[in-house]
Amino acid sequence: MRSTYTILTAVLLSTISCSKFLDVQPEQQVDDSQAITNAGSAETAVNGLYNLLGSDGYYGSNFQALSYLSGGDIQWTGSQSAPQQIANRQLSADNGNVATSWAAIYRTILSANYIIDAIPPLSDPLFTQAKKDQLTGEAYFVRALSYFDLARGWGGVQLILTPTRLPGDHSGIKRSSLTDTYAQVLSDLNKAAQLLPLTTNRNRATRKTAWALKARYFLYQEKWDSAAVYATKVIDDAANYKLAKPYSAFFANNAVATTESVLEIAYSVSFKNGHYNWWLPPALGGRREWAPNAQLVGLLNDPATGGNRNALIGQTAPPGNLWYGKLYYRTPTGTDPAYLIRIAELYLIRAEARAKSGELTTALEDLNAIRDRAGLTTFTEATQAEIILAVEQERRLEFAFEGDRWFDLVRTGRVATVLGVTDKNRQVFPVPADELLADKSLEPNPGY
Amino acid sequence: MKKHLHAPIVLCMLVGPLLSNAQSSAPPSVDTTIASSMNRTLGDVIVVGYGAQSRKAVIGAVTSIKAATIKDRPVASFDQQLQGRAPGVQVSANTGVPGDGIFFRIRGTTSINAGNDPLYVVDGVFINNQSLQKVTTQGQGNNPLADINPADIESISILKDATATAIYGARAANGVVLITTKRGAYNSRPKVGFNTYLGLAWAPELWELVSGPEHATIINEAWVNDGKPFDTRPFRPKSAGGRGLPEEQPTYDRLHDIFRTGGIQNYDLSLSGGNEKTRYYLSGGYNKQLASIKTNDYQRASLKVNLDQQITDRIRVGSSNSLSRSRRTNARVGDGPQGGILQAALHTPTYLPKFNDDGSYAKWAGFDNLDVLIKYTDMNSTSIRYIGNLYAEADILKQLKFRTSWSLDYNDYDEFEYWNSYTNRGSASKGLATSSVSKNTVWVNEQTLSYRNNSQRHAIGVLVGNSIQGNIAQQTWAQGTNFPSDAFKQIASAATTTASSNRAENRQVSFFSRVEYNYEGKYLAEVNFRADASSKFGKDNQWGYFPSLGVAWRAKEEQFLQGIDVISDLKLRANYGLTGNQNGIGNFASRGLWGGGANYLDNPGTIPQQLANPQLGWETTRQWNFGLDLGLLDDRISVEFNWYDKYTSDLLLNLPLPVSSGFRTIASNSGEISNKGLELGINTVNIRTKQFSWQTGFNIARNINRIEKLNIPIDASYSVERMAQGYPMHSFFVYKQLYVDEKTGDAVYDDVTKDGKITAADRQMLGQATPKFFGGLNNTFSYKGFDASIFFNFQYGNKVYNSNRFFHESGGTRDDRRAINKNQLNRWQKPGDVTDVPRITTIGNNYALNPISRFLEDGSFLRLSALTLGYAVPARVANRIHASNIRIYFSSTNLWLLKKYIGPDPEVNVTSDPNVQGYDLGTPPQPRTVQFGLNLTL
Repeated sequence: MRSTYTILTAVLLSTISCSKFLDVQPEQQVDDSQAITNAGSAETAVNGLYNLLGSDGYYGSNFQALSYLSGGDIQWTGSQSAPQQIANRQLSADNGNVATSWAAIYRTILSANYIIDAIPPLSDPLFTQAKKDQLTGEAYFVRALSYFDLARGWGGVQLILTPTRLPGDHSGIKRSSLTDTYAQVLSDLNKAAQLLPLTTNRNRATRKTAWALKARYFLYQEKWDSAAVYATKVIDDAANYKLAKPYSAFFANNAVATTESVLEIAYSVSFKNGHYNWWLPPALGGRREWAPNAQLVGLLNDPATGGNRNALIGQTAPPGNLWYGKLYYRTPTGTDPAYLIRIAELYLIRAEARAKSGELTTALEDLNAIRDRAGLTTFTEATQAEIILAVEQERRLEFAFEGDRWFDLVRTGRVATVLGVTDKNRQVFPVPADELLADKSLEPNPGY
Repeated sequence: MKKHLHAPIVLCMLVGPLLSNAQSSAPPSVDTTIASSMNRTLGDVIVVGYGAQSRKAVIGAVTSIKAATIKDRPVASFDQQLQGRAPGVQVSANTGVPGDGIFFRIRGTTSINAGNDPLYVVDGVFINNQSLQKVTTQGQGNNPLADINPADIESISILKDATATAIYGARAANGVVLITTKRGAYNSRPKVGFNTYLGLAWAPELWELVSGPEHATIINEAWVNDGKPFDTRPFRPKSAGGRGLPEEQPTYDRLHDIFRTGGIQNYDLSLSGGNEKTRYYLSGGYNKQLASIKTNDYQRASLKVNLDQQITDRIRVGSSNSLSRSRRTNARVGDGPQGGILQAALHTPTYLPKFNDDGSYAKWAGFDNLDVLIKYTDMNSTSIRYIGNLYAEADILKQLKFRTSWSLDYNDYDEFEYWNSYTNRGSASKGLATSSVSKNTVWVNEQTLSYRNNSQRHAIGVLVGNSIQGNIAQQTWAQGTNFPSDAFKQIASAATTTASSNRAENRQVSFFSRVEYNYEGKYLAEVNFRADASSKFGKDNQWGYFPSLGVAWRAKEEQFLQGIDVISDLKLRANYGLTGNQNGIGNFASRGLWGGGANYLDNPGTIPQQLANPQLGWETTRQWNFGLDLGLLDDRISVEFNWYDKYTSDLLLNLPLPVSSGFRTIASNSGEISNKGLELGINTVNIRTKQFSWQTGFNIARNINRIEKLNIPIDASYSVERMAQGYPMHSFFVYKQLYVDEKTGDAVYDDVTKDGKITAADRQMLGQATPKFFGGLNNTFSYKGFDASIFFNFQYGNKVYNSNRFFHESGGTRDDRRAINKNQLNRWQKPGDVTDVPRITTIGNNYALNPISRFLEDGSFLRLSALTLGYAVPARVANRIHASNIRIYFSSTNLWLLKKYIGPDPEVNVTSDPNVQGYDLGTPPQPRTVQFGLNLTL
């Protein structure tokens, strides 16, 4: 009997302390209010931001694939229907790859918003203003790039500029116009350039990286002067940025962060890039879901057009004889960088901007810098139209697997001529169908 | 059936002590020799939550199954044995791999994200039924219930409605399965039991693929139909630079390379007995199954010790213990090309050779070489599982009892895989090894205080109790690559290694009570109430309250039915109550969290992971049940009928958010699901003579599931099924192919939006993966020493998405990347052809849309699930070797299957994801087995 009472008492006591018993704390996460509280946690949050920028859904592979698969030079050789749709330019609003990219970009924006919101008011004596500016500047840069990619991919989008702390924090926001979306990009780029230090870092954003993106931005805006000015700012820093020779020097033999790169996402064992899996044939450990088509193989192998850029492709042994892309090849380490901005692009931006401004001689110099590096003959004389077309052709081969072609053709309005996409509606990707369901304020892109 | 004559006496003998002894989840001592020979009689005592009740007194919907009636089905786990045996309980095997996941639903699907599996309680221990598997086999997860040796089970009670389940409150919304293991009997001499069976298993049907020449013809046809020149068709003479003419192509049969005749063997040895103070049950078992698909073997060794000891007249202690080791050799049999052994066999085009010209292994289309996988697949897992309970009971007063118990379910799950340099996974990395060790602990402490009077007129029983519970999941994971050679497999030898570990915990506190009232055995009432608090919820919403009220009227006891002999029993039941659910959601689902692991430049990084929802609380299911129990002709016909209406609200749902917020979903209480249904079970004794008996058991159930409220449609994984308001769970959302135009051969799809284009907006809901009705039919016969049983199970009205056909019937778009099935040969070829397989082309929508209704097939089936023929050696012969019983038998499972499905078996599903059902993508079919067995009792 007595033991029974003892047990009963114990039970009673245990229930009194039951709120304590039920207080279980996570060991693998922290509450969002504790995420960015000092210099150390701010630094890790920015590391996380780059991780998102380089995630599979964004520059890790998916977003780049959206562009290069759409560009007409890559064929679908796999089994999945989502890339098949993209390569055939038969996108539907429920395409999984489109939805993945859209989500990955907005996840990146969320992280940037948190950083932009949380870092400036922190009062950690060990957190210098310079460090705060740098980290906040990096977030502005990444947000600028993210909205730039949304704008060129989908048109004007909803501009979310503060962190989401509770559901419904941003409900009811409508899509901004394309102009306003690009205006936000410029505003973020200006802040980034103002906050970021004037250093060289190929794996993180610096003021020079912001200039480089500005050059691209102004090219898309057809502000030729500004595009040339910002391209020049980077090109002139010849001590840090120059074309790697030969072409393959920027990626072959496990090269990373060469002088070619203005910004590349670095991968490591703890942050792998799975891009090679889609390109490499089974014999090399991939699944070759897509591959360069005959036309591109022909151009790259032609000494008059491809030059030493034929290093981008390889062929499997007989009897398969399959062509495959080998810009991403580092198995199993997954340390292929994602190339976001290369100095070659700045040359081609300036070539085009100068040509558009009628500065044909200097435009040719820039174009020939690229041709020379590729081991091609230099152009000596050409009309404005010829130069502009030559720039387009160089971009096509120079960035064959880097997701430039589609956006380039859309930007110049040549997508109808080159790829037969005459329907303007089809020159942007569809807003994912599931997003339209989840967000009543979101308007679809017409035609999907 | 002498016992019917003595039923009241037997009942008193059994129920008296039991009811007074009840309130324990430790099983009562049902004398098996009395209770086991028939499936159910009035004399049965059935186990219910925290106690046992006579069937007469049961108000809730409870199906009790004697393990003896289902034991001849030689599958790894008891849940699969229950298929077709209990009305309203839907069991699907999903795959033919032994010991892999089983789909188990009691009265339909009530939740989207909070789990739909019932609570499993073994001898009072709340056990874990979620797979601990972390090294993926790309398909179904390994089933942790296979750790329990079915031979140790005495009976299984399936609690279905609110009165039956509410005592388990927050764990009970999906029903409860109570497993009672065997115990000894007091005052009985030691009894030795030996049971064994040996048999074979094979796949009765495989997929039909085209030959090499047929494949080449299809590809050439696509080429020409695409408008490309005939001269450059892929299969043209080699001299012209082609792959050779179609008729020159060889055919390689890979399917028969991986399917084989497997084997099963099982041995169980037990010893049970007791004296007046002690009773015991000891057993050891060994089970081995070689699957019909290579490299998928299952072995289990188990040990069981159950003890009960009377310390004084008033105090008892006891313990239930089982220890088992399940060892599996696994293979990747599901989705995904890398290492996918079934995919490599099923999807590699048949004309492509197994070896290159130089003799090396040929690899095609992202798949591994099949011979390599058969030879070198090296995946295994070992589950060490202890399930135990220790209890003490004291009679404080004659009618007042106190009981305390401590329970533990501890599972150590050790997995290993090694991919050598011949495999795709290991080739680039020079060998890849993964080791994962998971430890899962569920512990429960319970106290109950129970009172029961002995009044004949006003019988009252009261139970109050509390329970505290913890669940701790830990995992340590390591991976190594870059091995010196294929001879080295352990990560210690790898040049590059990575590792991680994680731990998660949740806790629960509960109080519960039950009051039973019984007026003259005529009018019965029962009230249950449980309060639960879970650490998973925010402080303001931790507590959930779950009451139920049930009444029953035993009309047979009324004067006006006493004289009607044809009716031997009539009982009407009604109850209503609430139960809860919190399974499946994260341990910290209500909090806004940032997670680590998002590294950059080898520095640690953090990212937002989860959005806060401080309001998050319990998911609640309310349920009505109306039931009728009818016995006719001295219970030779017994009928159990139930009608139920379940309504689940505040669904724990990962509600899609606009991803522009940066989050895909938020854990929320939103949405409502209803399940309404009918269950009918009929047991008849058709013939009962001294020498011959024939009994029939039949059950059928219909469940109507409907998502009553869901603000946003949600696509399940694979995006073929969609959850949407107004439709049942597991509804397929596809483009509907209306017909193939006879003139052009093009597929015509339903243009729902009438805009002249086929866009994502034209997809529609078309059928669901859950059956309209399902059940089982069992007939047992005995003649002298012979016995026979024949058992069918069936389901009707469910659809299966045959994703194999999506790949195999792709109209030439997948050329050298995928095999082609025979059905592709029925394609449209010339005007006037009537077929549903469109003209072969890679252009347009004929073979580009996905998912489409053409691959959505009728999954109804009728299966001869088990057939058994046995012979018991006459007692006088048995006695000669001091045996009390010797029985030999032959049995066979899956002997016959009636189906419409194009594919070996419609009872398939590729994933353990509970929101995906009826999705077939390279799933091994159910095996057919034959086995011989021996039961021996000394």
